[in-house]
Order: sequence, then structure tokens, then C-alpha cells
Amino acid sequence: MNPSPQHRRSFLAHRQAVLTAPKAIAPDGLVLVDLSARPRLGFKGRGTPAWLQGRGLALPGRPNEATPQADGGLLLRLSEHEHLLLAPLSETDGQCQALATAQARERPDHVYPLPRQDSHAWLLLAGAAAADCLAKLCAVDLRADRFGLGDMAQTLMARVSVIVARADLAEHCGYHVLCDSAVAEYLWDCLLDAMAEFGGGPLDQAAFASGLRNPEPP
Amino acid sequence: MKLIPCPLNGLRNAEEFVCGGEVQPEPDASQLSAADWAQHVFHRDNRAGLVREWWLHVPSGYWFIAERDTLSDRFLRSYPASELFAKRTPVGPAEPGDR
Amino acid sequence: MNRLPEPFGCLIDRSRPVRFRFDGLAYTGLAGDSIASALAANGVRVLSSSFKHRRPRGIYSAAGHEAGVLVQVNQEPSVAADERAIAEGMTVSRHHKGGRWIERFDRFLPVGFYYRAFFRPAFGWRLWEPIIRRRVGHGRVDPGFAGGEHDKLHLHADVAVVGGGPAGLAAALAAAETGAEVVLLHRRPRLGGGLLWGRPDAAGQHGGDLAAQLGAAVLAEPRIRILTAATVTGCFADRWLSAVQGARLIKLRARALVLASGQREQPAVFRNNDLPGVMLGSAAQRLIRLHGVKPGRRAVVATANDAGYGVALDLEEAGVELAGILDLRPGHPPGDLRQAAAHRGLPILQGRAPVAAEGRDAVQAVLHAGLDEAGGERGRLAADLLCLSVGGTPAAELAVQAGATLAYDPDVAGFRLTGLPEGVFAAGAVDRRFTAQAAEADGKAAGREAARAAGFVPQPMHRPTATAATPNHPFPIFPHPEGKDYVDFDHDVTVADVANALTDGFEHIELLKRYTTLAMGPSQGRLSALNAARLLARARNLPVAAVGAPNPRPPFGEECFGHLAGRGHHPVRRSALHPAHQARGAKFMPAGLWLRPAYYGSDAEVAVRAEVMAVHHDVGLIDVSTLGGFDIRGPDAPEFVERFHTGSFRKLAPGRCRYGLVCDVAGSLIDDGMVCRLAPEHFYVTATTGAADGIYRSMLWWQAQWRLDVDITNLTSALAGISVAGPKARDLLAPLTRDLDVSAAGLPFVGIREGHIADIPVRALRTGFVGEVAFELHVPAGMALALWEMLLTAGERLGVRPFGVEAQRILRLQKGHIIIGQDTDANTTPAEAGLALAVAMAKPYFVGRRALEIRAGQPLERRLVGFTLADPLAAPPSECHLVVRQGDIVGRVTSVAHSPVLNQTIGLAYVAPDQAEPGIAFTIKVRAGRLLNAVVTKPPFYDPAGARQA
Repeated sequence: MNPSPQHRRSFLAHRQAVLTAPKAIAPDGLVLVDLSARPRLGFKGRGTPAWLQGRGLALPGRPNEATPQADGGLLLRLSEHEHLLLAPLSETDGQCQALATAQARERPDHVYPLPRQDSHAWLLLAGAAAADCLAKLCAVDLRADRFGLGDMAQTLMARVSVIVARADLAEHCGYHVLCDSAVAEYLWDCLLDAMAEFGGGPLDQAAFASGLRNPEPP
Repeated sequence: MKLIPCPLNGLRNAEEFVCGGEVQPEPDASQLSAADWAQHVFHRDNRAGLVREWWLHVPSGYWFIAERDTLSDRFLRSYPASELFAKRTPVGPAEPGDR
Repeated sequence: MNRLPEPFGCLIDRSRPVRFRFDGLAYTGLAGDSIASALAANGVRVLSSSFKHRRPRGIYSAAGHEAGVLVQVNQEPSVAADERAIAEGMTVSRHHKGGRWIERFDRFLPVGFYYRAFFRPAFGWRLWEPIIRRRVGHGRVDPGFAGGEHDKLHLHADVAVVGGGPAGLAAALAAAETGAEVVLLHRRPRLGGGLLWGRPDAAGQHGGDLAAQLGAAVLAEPRIRILTAATVTGCFADRWLSAVQGARLIKLRARALVLASGQREQPAVFRNNDLPGVMLGSAAQRLIRLHGVKPGRRAVVATANDAGYGVALDLEEAGVELAGILDLRPGHPPGDLRQAAAHRGLPILQGRAPVAAEGRDAVQAVLHAGLDEAGGERGRLAADLLCLSVGGTPAAELAVQAGATLAYDPDVAGFRLTGLPEGVFAAGAVDRRFTAQAAEADGKAAGREAARAAGFVPQPMHRPTATAATPNHPFPIFPHPEGKDYVDFDHDVTVADVANALTDGFEHIELLKRYTTLAMGPSQGRLSALNAARLLARARNLPVAAVGAPNPRPPFGEECFGHLAGRGHHPVRRSALHPAHQARGAKFMPAGLWLRPAYYGSDAEVAVRAEVMAVHHDVGLIDVSTLGGFDIRGPDAPEFVERFHTGSFRKLAPGRCRYGLVCDVAGSLIDDGMVCRLAPEHFYVTATTGAADGIYRSMLWWQAQWRLDVDITNLTSALAGISVAGPKARDLLAPLTRDLDVSAAGLPFVGIREGHIADIPVRALRTGFVGEVAFELHVPAGMALALWEMLLTAGERLGVRPFGVEAQRILRLQKGHIIIGQDTDANTTPAEAGLALAVAMAKPYFVGRRALEIRAGQPLERRLVGFTLADPLAAPPSECHLVVRQGDIVGRVTSVAHSPVLNQTIGLAYVAPDQAEPGIAFTIKVRAGRLLNAVVTKPPFYDPAGARQA
């Protein structure tokens, strides 16, 4: 199925109307961004690693590792033969569309596409207190010095399955959190509740992106 | 809470797993009497000592096999299911000309 | 005021008075006071009435170890008054008042009277229960109490250290020095433990200095995270700790664990040993040094160790007159503190023990006697304070929970920890290192051992040997013929009660515990287990080691419901269309973890009828996103589907679907759905809402064994589903698509096509669940909302209407379609459910095949049939009403509804196999035992030829 972007909406679109006024991320702030409208896709099957490598992607060496791509995307390796590509946090979709088109055209053996944009919601939690905040919901040690860039985990957060990976946000500490799209609103609310004690709140994607480009002076 | 060693995800809290019961490869049904089949379906050894069990890591949907000592409730080792189930199992003759 | 000057009172801030109320009267304490210390400073000694005898009780441990200090704080019951800090405006009250008359009848209320007195006659309990309920318990629960916000937090440590005394502080430092990250949990607000209130040396200086020095070092160490006022309540498998800090429940996982929980001083047993004014020596020291409170005016100290002389020296320095020091030991035992006390001329009575306290609401005098056979002459000392320092027991609850055992060691006349599990270490007084110096050195060694266990490589170090000298007297129990010699204060268990329990045959320590309720109160035997074991051993003429200690269970310390329930996290699954349903006024119902619209509108009956009629006459939309969906792809896709489902799909042509059943290995139905072939090596399989997760797990489990060349992808959340159903469904869809032929020829019944509707990619299935022309559109979840809105807009002219699960249930029942789990149970076979056609027994294998083969050889026990009522106007039965024949149960109703289309009651029910032919009448037993006549009617009830679905 080919995506028709004009009809695509985030699973949290109806919650975006109540976002607080956009603000840049302060160094000690904590923000939750809905990236569900950003492109992402997955492939699995035993032909996947070789095919992705052939397409010029940098592959994580082992399962539960994430490797940044030259264009700013992030490739997550979920198991021996399953990968998930997150588009860069800029406006481009990175290689998502190109890969989808190539797979549909080439139909490589034992490479099965996964509709990750629909199966999973994509949230990003960023700020100095991000690890402390996630510790209220998740039993895996996600502290920045124990769970570094390149680490990812498949675990439970607020009792639902998630994929967590560190986000490379220069001076900010951040985590990508992907959950089943049907629990997006549930987990969004759990995260907002957990953030409250740190004074954190939601931030819309555009404001977040501009904050990344022009960070406030500390 | 116990830690369970997952071959894919490492040591994780028991809450991330579901136990699938003793590993008990399916026997050839055509060779078994009704009583023996009932034995296979409904009876488990429930051994005191080393048992081999199926475990599912729920967040990653990964089934694996773990060896556990039921006397000490300690996990001794765990490994991918492919260690025990290495090859495609043929069950019954395929219909001719289908593949 | 009993307030002492500086330097006494290291926790209090004399510049900050705090006002509070206790039992209706106003008091003023100081910031840093506990409720109990503030009341003691105000001269209030009685904090509660005891559980059974209603005796007055006051401070005993000053450390939260007994029920006698439990009070009500505002709306919160069972608060330990010696632990909770006072706060401005706090209202404190006693749990019970009055009722002390009962103590005069205590000889008629022996242990076990409760079990023996109230169980007969049976109706008597109804009489007694309200009376007993009013009298017992620890506080009042206010159902209107709003409570507070509670939450949970996960922490991780290389080394976790429990206890902030000298051993714990040294352990934390030693572990951190190796590079390990340490979490230090301390129950009290300030680090130091016994160093803050004890008197380790004659000069009385060393403790405070060491506390300051270790405390500063720990604070300066960045690798140590300090949690004060954090009570570790449980120690579970693989070094997993639960701790309560304020309104938060902490779950901590450590690679290695140091338990430096200290020891707990133990009482002596004698008549009136519970009177306010009798307390542990450590309690008096805590009041003096922590809170600057003078615990009495004239004191007796009973001791069996050198520390008791430290208590006497502290009392003297605090201006308390020493009436006498009763030393239970014979001869002239050595000791620096004893020497210092003797040097100051304090009155020492060697070889004497307290045998009774006198007084009604507080102690007024202490009777003492010699400990040799004759007992010697009795003495009487007037005093308002009696301090007991006769020994201690390890604070080993957490260690025991972790798997260690408490073994009695006759050499120390007390319990000792043995068998600590891997990665768990004990240090300090809990492991018999009683002096501050020994505890510190022991902690340092344990910290290094723990760091090594956590994967760090410190220099090894010798642990100091356990102290030879013991603080414990082997039998500080002096039974009194007139009783009131309490072994357990929580439940008023006396020496005679223990003897009675033994007479009644409860000889094992755990049976003794249950029969007498000793060690079952709020303090869980913290002050009674040791003496109970000694008593039991002596009575049975056994060594104490053979008796053992009762098992302390988690939680240690208080956990309130808020800690357990707060932020419980109950996941809710919502379809991508959820916001649209909300906007349309849907009433939601749970379906597994999902929320599904039951119907739209406020009046259920009106809405459901209108929704059914819309599907019947025009066109309706239902959200079927909650259905499971799985892509089975690869060369072995047909083989997998053949093995997993009961039916035959090898010859299913691409673009076609077939109804599929799934059985378990016992041959019972576990799910049904559509098996659709999109391409020769690509199947799309649906599952029911409630079973989808289990089916996915089961598919993966079988595949882990079959090892077929196939990929299984769960699309349940990735694909939303909209079923467009009704005679005008084609009129709605045709104008919206360019690449899908929705005509009867282009997309026939049970066909599947991929294409676009309003530019949105869909898998369109022609299904028949609701009995009209229906297209199930499976669309990417992120685009489902757009499609739903376009369908509603485009369908306005056709009278389109969303319908919910309630309407769908009626529509499917009209067609006689079963719902797995509602019309089937854990034993239902396809044959019983009338679905034998969906089982291809000719296949060589499928899951459940062998069981079905065996079950086919057994007589059928029941059949699922359709029914209508003999009297169309009769009130309908309910689901689960029984089908009866000659008084026997032969089946039950599984589904029933009134069909607005047919205007009659229709249903499905299990009946006996010989009742299954259409036209046979059977009987349903409904409410109040009435019998209702029903008639077997062959489904479908509606459009049996399927003409409407062409």
C-alpha cells in the first residue's frame, strides 16, 4: 500500500489542540513531542540486513542497538532480522520513501515490509529530567550514563510494550518512545502525568524542531 | 521481582514475560492412542528439579527456552528456540503438486 | 516542660515551635519532634489503650516498633507516633478510649477464647460481630478520605545499602570508592543511626563525631545517592527492594546488597512491664539525644550489658536521678561504661532483676529480686522511669525475606543470621558487630565485598570477627503468678497465654504464633519473637535453636493503600477512530483492553433500534479496528495457514476469503476469523478482538517449533477497520473509488481486493457478519479517521449512520453467526457449535486434529442451536439461563436478543443432541424458577438464502 500523506493524521492529533503555547526547550526543561506524523518504516526477514546494507544504510551490529544514519535518521535493530528506520528530526523523510519504493519495486527475497507508521506511535521525551521521568514508568535503567546513544530497549512502560532509544539532540538528553498506536493516547497521558513534577509539558513538533535549530542560550 | 534472562533482551523483570509451560515437542499423532494423546495434552511432569520451559518476552514477541531449577527457582540458562527446533518440521505428507 | 538544654536534641530546632492537638487539647512541640517526643516534652505519657486489655501504653522503643504508639492523625489511622514528625495544625487522637474494665476479666479471656467463644451457635456471630468490630482494630478508616497523590519510581544501583548507621555509611563509602554507584536508604530523617543517640564510650563524644565524619564523607561522594526517611519494606528475589519514601513507592534493583539494618533492643518480661514509663534503654537515649526530652525524674536501669550503663550515664547527665542500676549478671563483669558509672557513684545492684513494676497509669516503683535459686530478698525502688537494656535481636526482616535464616546461637544468647543469598551481605549490629568501631570496620569490608559481587574489583579486606561479648541476657523473663507479664504488647499476650497455647497442643513456633496471635500484630514480633522462642524452648525443654523464630513477612513498616494503588497504570486501547466516536456521542464499552462504541446517543434502546434499521434499510458504518489482523507471508504461508487453522486453504484463490476456525490441542474452539489470500504466498488472517493477542502469541509459538519459511506480522493496530454495511453500501463506495469494482461481479461475497477509496489504500473484504451487503475496509490506522469522515459526508444523502457493538450483536444473531467465547466455552468442539464444515479432517495435520478425531468417536453431549419462543409475546430469557429437561440441566442460553427487523426474540442455546432438530420444543428455566417454552429454529433467522448479501 502506498502512503497518501495528505490523509495521514497522528493518533494524537485531537490532543494537539490543547498543547501549551510552543516554547523552546530550556536546558533544564522537559518536553514531550508527538512525532507520530513523521515517517518511519520497518523490514524483517532473513534477507533484510543484507538488503539494507546494499541500500547504503549503516547497520547496527547486534539486536537492541541503534545506529544513526548519515542523513540524521536512526536505524534500530529489533532482532537478528528485524529493523526499524526512524526519519531524521528535520523536514526530510530521510530514506523512508526511497526504501519503501525500492522494496516494492525489487521485491527482494525474504524482506517483508512492516507498516511502522501505522502500527506504532512515536513520542519523544527531551530534557535534563527525562531519565528521572521515565524511571517512574519503566523498570529498565535508562539513565544517560547507563543507556547511551546507540542503546535501545524493548520493554514495558506504564505496563504497555514500547521500543525506547536514545535520541541524539546535541546538548539535550532525549528518548524516542514508540508504542502500539492503539495505546498512544494512554501513554501520552501517563507521560504527561509523570512529567508534571518536573514542570514539563507537551510541545508541538514545529516548535520543537525550531528549538533544536536555535537552542536558547543556557 | 525475579529477573529472567532473555537471549535477545538480556536480564529483565519477570513482569515482561509470559511462561508457556514445559517444552514438550509434539509427538506424531498418528502413532498415539487416545489415552496417550490425552496424556500429551493434559499431563505435565511438574518435576522437582531441572525443567525446560517456554518463555515469551512480551514487548519483543520473542519465544525462547529457559532451563530452571524448580527447587531453587533459579534460571540456569536460556537460549533461542532454534537450539532445540533446528529444522522445518515436516508434519504429514504435503499435497502433491502444491508447492 | 521536660525539654533539655543543648547539646541534647540534635534533631530539634528550638527556634521553630509547632502547634498541634492531641485528644482535643492543644500542645506545642518543636520542629524535628515526633508526635511522641513532643507529647513527652509536654509530660504526656499515655499514647494509647492496648488492643485487648485496654491498658495504657506509652513510648517503648521510640523507634516505631510497637502498636502502643499507633494513633490517628487527621483522617489517617495507624500512624506510629514515635516516627511521624509533628506538623503545624496536626490533629492527633487515640484509637480507643476507656474500656479498661475488661482487664479485670482477663482470666476469662485467655488466648484462643475468641475462637472458642464465638463460633457456636452459628447465629451468635451476627450478634457478636458488631460488638467485637467496634472494640478491635487500630484506628478508623474514613471512606470519604480523599487521600493524596501517590506514585512509584524505579531505581537502580550497583550496590544498595540499607541502613545509615556506622556500618551502612562505611559500606556505602567503601563500595563507592571502587567506582560502584551506590544507593543508601535510611529509615530516619538524619544519617548516623545509633551514633546519634547511643553512647559508645564513657566520655559520650565518639558517636556524634563519627556520625558527623562519616555523614560528611557520604554527602561529599557523588557516587552515593542518599534517600533518608525511606523505609525499605521488602526484599525480594534477585535483590529487588521495595521502599516507601513519603507518598512514593520505590522499586530498587541492585546488583549487590548490604543490609546494615542494625539491631533492636528487646524488653524483659515481668509484671506490668508495659506500664508507661517502662521503656527500652535505647528509647530513653533517643528521647534525650535526638529530641532533648527528659524521659523521667527518677529512674531505674535494668541491664545485662555494658550499654545499660551508658543509658545510666546519659540519664544522669540529663538530670534524671538514678534510683538504682539492676545488673542481671552475676559477679563483677568488666566494661568501660560500668566502670565510669561506678566511678561516679551510681547505685549498682549486681545480680538483681526487675520482677514487677507498680503503678496504675504509669510506673511508680520497681520491685526487684536476686537471680539465684532462692531469689533473695525483694527490694523496692520508687521511680517513674524504668529503662531496660537486657539485649537485642538483629533487625533481620529484610535478610530473612531475601532468603537468610535466623538461627539461635547459644554463645550470644540470641539470633544470628545464616545463609544469606548470593550478592546479599549483612554488616554491623545486624551481624553481631555491636560496637561502633566494629560496625564501621565491618561495613567497610561488606561494602567492598558487595562492590566485588557487583562486578567491581576492590582490594579485599578482612572482616572483623564478631564480638565475643554478648549484650544478651539468656532468659530475661520473670513470670508473675498474677499475670500482666506481657510477652507481646501488640495483642496483650502474657506468659500464661503462651503456657495455655502449649497445653492446647500448639507447640510449634508458627502454630504458637497463630494461636496466640503473638508476633501477628502491627510490630510483627519485633519486640516479642525472641522472648517467645525462649519461653517455648524452656517449656518444651528444648534448646532455643530447636525452636527457631517466627517468619517475618513483608511489608516491614507501613505501606498504605495509596502506595500500592497509586499510579497503577491500567492500559486502555483506543481505535484510531476514537475521537470521531466521542464527537458523535458514543457510549463506550470495554472489549478486552479496547474501548468500543456500544451505541451512539443517550437512549440505548432507541439508538440500537435506529442503528439496526439503518443497516437494514440504508447503510451503516461500524468501527472494526479492534479485530486482530495478521499478514502471513513467504513460501510456506499456505502451509502455515493449513497447520494453524482447521479448514483447508491451499486451493483458496488469491482474491478470495474463507471462514476459518482455530482449535487448541484439545480440539476446543479458541477463535474464528477470515482467512484471505492476497497472493499465492501472502495470506491476511483476521482474529476476534478478545483473542487477537493470544492468537498472535500462539502463531509465534507454533512457528518457533515448526520453523516454516514464513513471516508473521501483527497488523492489529496498524490496520484500522471500517465495515460499510447495508443495501446502499455500494452506492456509498462506488463514487469514492477509481480502482475498485465494488459491484457484485467485481467484488463478490467473500472476496478481497486491494485498492483505494478516496485515495486511501484499503484492503476491501466482502463479509457477511451483519447479514447485508458489507465491505470491511482495512486501512492504515493513520488514515482511518480521514476515511471515516469522508464516508460519513459522502453517505449523508443515503442516510448513513454509525452503529455500535450492540446493534452488531443483534444483526449477527439474526444470521445465526456465533461469537467465540460467548457462544462457546473452553470445551466446545466445532461439531457442537455446528461448524463441522469448517474442519477439514482430511488434512494430514492441523492443531487439534488428533483431539477432534478422538472426540468424534465419543458421543456428542450437546448441540448449539437457534431458538425462538413458543409464545412470541413472552418475556425473553437472559444469557446463561439454563436449558432443563426433566429436572436435569442439559444446556444454557448463550445469546438472546429481540430482533427489530423480525420483531421477535431470537437466540442461541446449547441443548441435548436429540433436541437439536428444528421444530423440537425445549424448556428454559428463567428468573424465579419459571419455565419458558422455546422452539429449535434453524438459523439464519433472517434471509436464509443470503439473497441480501449477493
